[in-house]
Amino acid sequence: MAETQQLQIEESFGARVLGWVTSAAGITIVGTFAVAIFAVIDKGPYIIVNALVTGGMWGLMAVGLALCFGVMNLSNFAHGEYFMIGTLAAFYIITPLHNALYENYNTPLMVVAPLIAIFSAFVIGGIAGAVTDKVVFAPLRKRSKEQWMMNCFLVTIGLGVLLINGHQLIFGTVFKGIVAYWDVPSISLFGVYISVDRIFTFLLALLVIILFWFFMKFSRTGRAVRAVSQDEAGALMVGISVPRIHTFTLAISCALAGLAGASLLFMFPSYPGVGLGPLYNSWFVIIVAGFGNVAGAIAGGFIIAFVQVATRVYLGEGWESVIPMLMIAVVLIFKPTGIFGAKVRGVWER
Amino acid sequence: MNPEKGREDGLLLEVKNLDSGYGFLQVLWEVTLTVDTGEFVCLIGPNGAGKSTTLKTICGLVEPKGGTITFKGEPIGGLPGDTVSRKGISYISEALNLFTGMTVEENLAMGAYTIKDKKRVKSHLDFVYELFPRLKERESQFAGTLSGGERKMLAVARGMMSQPSLLLVDEPSLGLAPQLTASVFRALGRLNGQGMTILLVEQNVTKTLQVTERGYVLEKGRVVLEGKSSDMAQNEHVRKVYLGVEGKGS
Repeated sequence: MAETQQLQIEESFGARVLGWVTSAAGITIVGTFAVAIFAVIDKGPYIIVNALVTGGMWGLMAVGLALCFGVMNLSNFAHGEYFMIGTLAAFYIITPLHNALYENYNTPLMVVAPLIAIFSAFVIGGIAGAVTDKVVFAPLRKRSKEQWMMNCFLVTIGLGVLLINGHQLIFGTVFKGIVAYWDVPSISLFGVYISVDRIFTFLLALLVIILFWFFMKFSRTGRAVRAVSQDEAGALMVGISVPRIHTFTLAISCALAGLAGASLLFMFPSYPGVGLGPLYNSWFVIIVAGFGNVAGAIAGGFIIAFVQVATRVYLGEGWESVIPMLMIAVVLIFKPTGIFGAKVRGVWER
Repeated sequence: MNPEKGREDGLLLEVKNLDSGYGFLQVLWEVTLTVDTGEFVCLIGPNGAGKSTTLKTICGLVEPKGGTITFKGEPIGGLPGDTVSRKGISYISEALNLFTGMTVEENLAMGAYTIKDKKRVKSHLDFVYELFPRLKERESQFAGTLSGGERKMLAVARGMMSQPSLLLVDEPSLGLAPQLTASVFRALGRLNGQGMTILLVEQNVTKTLQVTERGYVLEKGRVVLEGKSSDMAQNEHVRKVYLGVEGKGS
């Protein structure tokens, strides 16, 4: 035992770094950095701003999707619609608040209103997720555990259609957007003018990631979620209500999607199909990063965002999805478990 | 660790005419057995007899098709696994169902999931480490990297963390070397000596009949024999089929 430890210490730092850099994860991350740095030098730092802003949110959405997959083997093809629900909730909460502010300018309310909208979208997304589990998946589980993957795929496609058309039916096809959450001048950072909305969204993503990490590692429910993802029978045997954890997991997943939608409302106005782009992004991320791997999903979110921005700038708007699709093809051919994926022991542990 | 000894008003566990199985496959027919507080009872029989199914039905992982299961006077047949666990039954499965991505300590903490009082959890942890000192040594090791014997110990320890009233143990000696088998049986004997009620399912008949007080023989989903373990060890059928001995012994 001591001998192996000795050997490990003696393997030089340089050799270990080289080992990582030539791994699938290393190649992708270093490659993305290289592209980002080249783009910044070539076109200026404003390029990476949108990538950082959206990357954090795609990461959160992918985390939600990875969580569902890791805990209950659920492939949710309606995930983007909870992003849409987030944009919808945020729009209908911020608009009256902004209108009230036009009448009576009130500084505390001006600062807090967007926070109310975003937080409410998080909660509403969570409720939508919980309802979805109780109404759609719990009955499906009772009915049959056979062909689960296929059933989830079909059921969630149908759910997506239902939600998109529901939006159209009730709220119309009109683009419901806002110019900005905070009507203040942009701030200059590193020679670039960045809007307060963008700065807030980036910081919010980081905060939520950190809170989520603490939650999964230390809270009782977080540990229960990890337990269910590792061994469902074992979880039942220690007294964890697995059905409740399933509902909770879907709720958190959809809450994160709703949060992403709300905090990007200034970039993505609310309309029936707004969730499709984020849906594809989430799936890109988890296929590339590895199914059920939550930490990898966060890194993957940023990677995909950078790749998309670089593609848009150098190849044009229409090529935006092509490079991620190519990445998926390469990953599935050479490393189907994903660039970070190894044998996944649970949703959190590697 | 002091469960009430010798209740006057009914047995701890009463299984009456239990029918159970998986989907369209019926595995158990009219199985009847009882376990009283403080007893060490065994359920033996050949492979595929339905012993595991019996335990799984009692603890709520399998839904019964007929009959009743009564625990502490309450009907528990058909209740889900987590509810039964919370009522005080711990099931140590053959597959162990450990959380392989968590450390030994985290697994034990999960065993006490239903206990909110941190002090109680700590005292249960101390109790369990005293019973299995090897586990204390491997506290921070991932459960997936433990040896076979250590994993069995961890599974039993995790089941004990909730201070259950009844322990259901499914083939603990399976796949273990004889020394480890002996130490597992010793640990179970010690637990029973301290008052723990245990229903043990085993294929290792010799040791099982030595350690337990009473037993049932399950064959093809039916109880074919029951009685005191010492009597069963003398029983002709048991000796021929399970002990490989011809004729009555000394």
